[in-house]
Amino acid sequence: MKTFIAPTWLIFTSLLLSSSATSADLFLKAADNTSVDSIQLNAEDEKKITTLISLLQPTSLTSLEQQQELRWFAQQSKPFKGLTIRVVSESIKTHVYESEVLARLFYELTGIHVIHEITEEDDVIKKITAQIETGLNLYDAYINDSDLIGSHFRNGNITSITELVSFDDGKLTLPTLDINDFIGIKFTTGPDGIIYQLPDQQFANLYWYRSDWFEDVTFKRQFKSKYGYELGVPQNWQAYEDIAHFFSNDIKHINGVRVYGHMDYAATDPSLGWRISDAWLSMAGVGDVGLPNGLPVDEWGIRVEQCHPVGASVSRGGELNGPAAVYAIDKFVSWLDLAPQEARKLTFNQASKWPKTGQIAQQIFWYSAFVGEFIDPELAIVNEDGTPKWKVAPSPVGKYWQTGMKSGYQDTGAWTFINNTPKERQLAAWLYAQFLVSKSVSLHKTLVGYTPIRLSDIESEAMSQKAPYLGGLVEFYRSEARNVWTPTGTNVPDYRNMSGHWWHYIGKIVEGKLSTQQGLDAIADEFDRHLTELSQSSSNTKCVPKVNSPKPSDYWFKQPGAPKAALENSVKGKTLPYKEAILVWE
Amino acid sequence: MFGNKWFVNKRLKNERHLSIISVLMCMFFSPMVFADKLTIYTYSEVPFATQVNNTKQGLVIEFLEALLTHAKIDYQVQLLPLKRGMALAESKKNTCVLPIERNQQRESQFKWFAPVMISRYGLFSDKSINTPLITLSDVKSNSIGSFLGSGIGEYLSNAGYKVQLTTNDALNLRKLQRKRIDFWAADIVTAKALMAEQKIDFGEPELIFFTSIRAMACNSELDTEVENRLQNALIHLYKTGYMSDLNKKYGLTIG
Repeated sequence: MKTFIAPTWLIFTSLLLSSSATSADLFLKAADNTSVDSIQLNAEDEKKITTLISLLQPTSLTSLEQQQELRWFAQQSKPFKGLTIRVVSESIKTHVYESEVLARLFYELTGIHVIHEITEEDDVIKKITAQIETGLNLYDAYINDSDLIGSHFRNGNITSITELVSFDDGKLTLPTLDINDFIGIKFTTGPDGIIYQLPDQQFANLYWYRSDWFEDVTFKRQFKSKYGYELGVPQNWQAYEDIAHFFSNDIKHINGVRVYGHMDYAATDPSLGWRISDAWLSMAGVGDVGLPNGLPVDEWGIRVEQCHPVGASVSRGGELNGPAAVYAIDKFVSWLDLAPQEARKLTFNQASKWPKTGQIAQQIFWYSAFVGEFIDPELAIVNEDGTPKWKVAPSPVGKYWQTGMKSGYQDTGAWTFINNTPKERQLAAWLYAQFLVSKSVSLHKTLVGYTPIRLSDIESEAMSQKAPYLGGLVEFYRSEARNVWTPTGTNVPDYRNMSGHWWHYIGKIVEGKLSTQQGLDAIADEFDRHLTELSQSSSNTKCVPKVNSPKPSDYWFKQPGAPKAALENSVKGKTLPYKEAILVWE
Repeated sequence: MFGNKWFVNKRLKNERHLSIISVLMCMFFSPMVFADKLTIYTYSEVPFATQVNNTKQGLVIEFLEALLTHAKIDYQVQLLPLKRGMALAESKKNTCVLPIERNQQRESQFKWFAPVMISRYGLFSDKSINTPLITLSDVKSNSIGSFLGSGIGEYLSNAGYKVQLTTNDALNLRKLQRKRIDFWAADIVTAKALMAEQKIDFGEPELIFFTSIRAMACNSELDTEVENRLQNALIHLYKTGYMSDLNKKYGLTIG
């Protein structure tokens, strides 16, 4: 018989758990009460754990610590043995690995059978909506982007992580969960200090480019000759546009292959909405200075006073249909002419394959969740020694952008538990969630999908060794930038019902059915109308919208900050060498 | 899609007892308002929609009667193969198709009314497999039967599984029985009804692997007024408990 006595490190860890006093108290209480005086496992279970330890390498834990963690799971899951639970997540490499490999290991360790379903992100949102609206127990937990935090903290439909951690005196909370080790925990914490979701994977949107082409002496000479400055990492949208023209229209072919200086997607599809709502407007300079999302106007163009959304249209103090937003969308549409002609008909997933073919020189806004797919040695964009021919860097910014504004998008797919889930099933899912993010698993998982969630993993020796093969991803996550690339904020009070307007109207703009101004006016109207409805139907909700009465645009343009009047100035392109460009991250 | 969360939380807790009575009242006393008749395509799938002689019956038929009557919209139902029904609903104004899976790929092609029902899909075998299935990936090397237009068939194909499609789902029972496919991927309620109908028993599914929101999809040019009426009618059917009762009647009990 081996024993597991709550050691001093457990208490120490609990002291590190939360930055807010309320949450810290809860976590400390949870950890104190999670003491497991003794764990008795039979020889067969011990053998399983030995096998799992050999499979789950590398880890940031010592062998003994990993053994203790896995024994804790084996012990605490006993009441749930034989249960089949259902969870769902979007289709990225990390989740596919969880679904196919880690769910099986969890089953072997605990006897809890997890059906980990993979679907598209919009479908995950639809399913959460259906479970909330019908009351049916469709799934026992969801892995859902933290963009919905504005809904979760307002609506009361979520069993928060703060609640789960302290449930039954924390007996089902992993003593080594170490909440402060999660780099995205701020994204899933509401203004009330409650942690609503637990990060499972995390990704950022960064500028992606073919560093081999950018360092080519002939290309550099040709570019400087025509555009008057060095070919390098673009710092503003003018430079991005110049480089796009250069590869699409001047170079055109490399080694006989047609190449393009820009890649994007614009099919009328839910993923078109994310392209814009994730950070496109903020990169152009829509909104105000102030992190995480801009204050008082955020990257959706929504003005917030204290925590109350007061409007999206310029007439109500928002900026969704202001000159900066029009500039942003005009660039999005016009740049499609610099991309392969197929781009207008592609969705997010379809377009993601293009840069891998070796035809694309740069992409302004690329999801780092694809890193795992872009380092395959068989690809044309990977050198023979396994290092990539590409790099990631900070995205260039538009002419309305000012220092101190949101620089880009980052999000975490996070465990989300709906209130109407039967408690036994929810707790079994809580154990599975903790297994997938435990230190026993997380570094191993990170080296499969490259979507890191823990600082201890990012700072590990294993990641140092891998860094030269990941094009700058590790450098990004080891810098301060990981704190200033942010997801959709708490200003958006009803993401599920508001986000659909983005793709619907941007699609019409791309198709030429509406002008950019008409399309943005329509989205702003829809948002204002929805905020008004929420203000009437949910008056007892936290931070309920309180929509401003409309005023002439000039009134708002004369106020400091957003919404901003039109800027007529032209901007000269500016680039930097890679090493200087990434200094921004420091 | 059909209302915000605050409203829905309240609506599901109230007025459940009025369900069947209020719907029937509407059916008998409400005049039809819209001149343009809606044509709604569905497909033969027991126990959701079948046609015996000239009588159409099943969950879908009952649902449509309640929905369209409450919305005061004149309509007709036609049974067609799913693929054909979807193509028509995508191209012709004032047409709809149901029940189909609502998913991201299809989202922009239609105007949606959901959920009409929640389905769980399982993998059925001819009882000859020895090792229990733990994850869906356990059948990656096997052949799986589905049918044309099926959302689950599309899902499995897109995920890299070996899917064989038939013109209708009933054919998959024979294929499985004759070992021409290793597994049959089907809605569990439909599968059980088909097995009973054809007197073939594959027992319980080896793995229940997918949950689907099935919806009514209408042509994207559907008149906004008609759309609003349908949305409000669907809310009403949930609010009064009619949908819950209907689902229970046909064995759709999840959670």
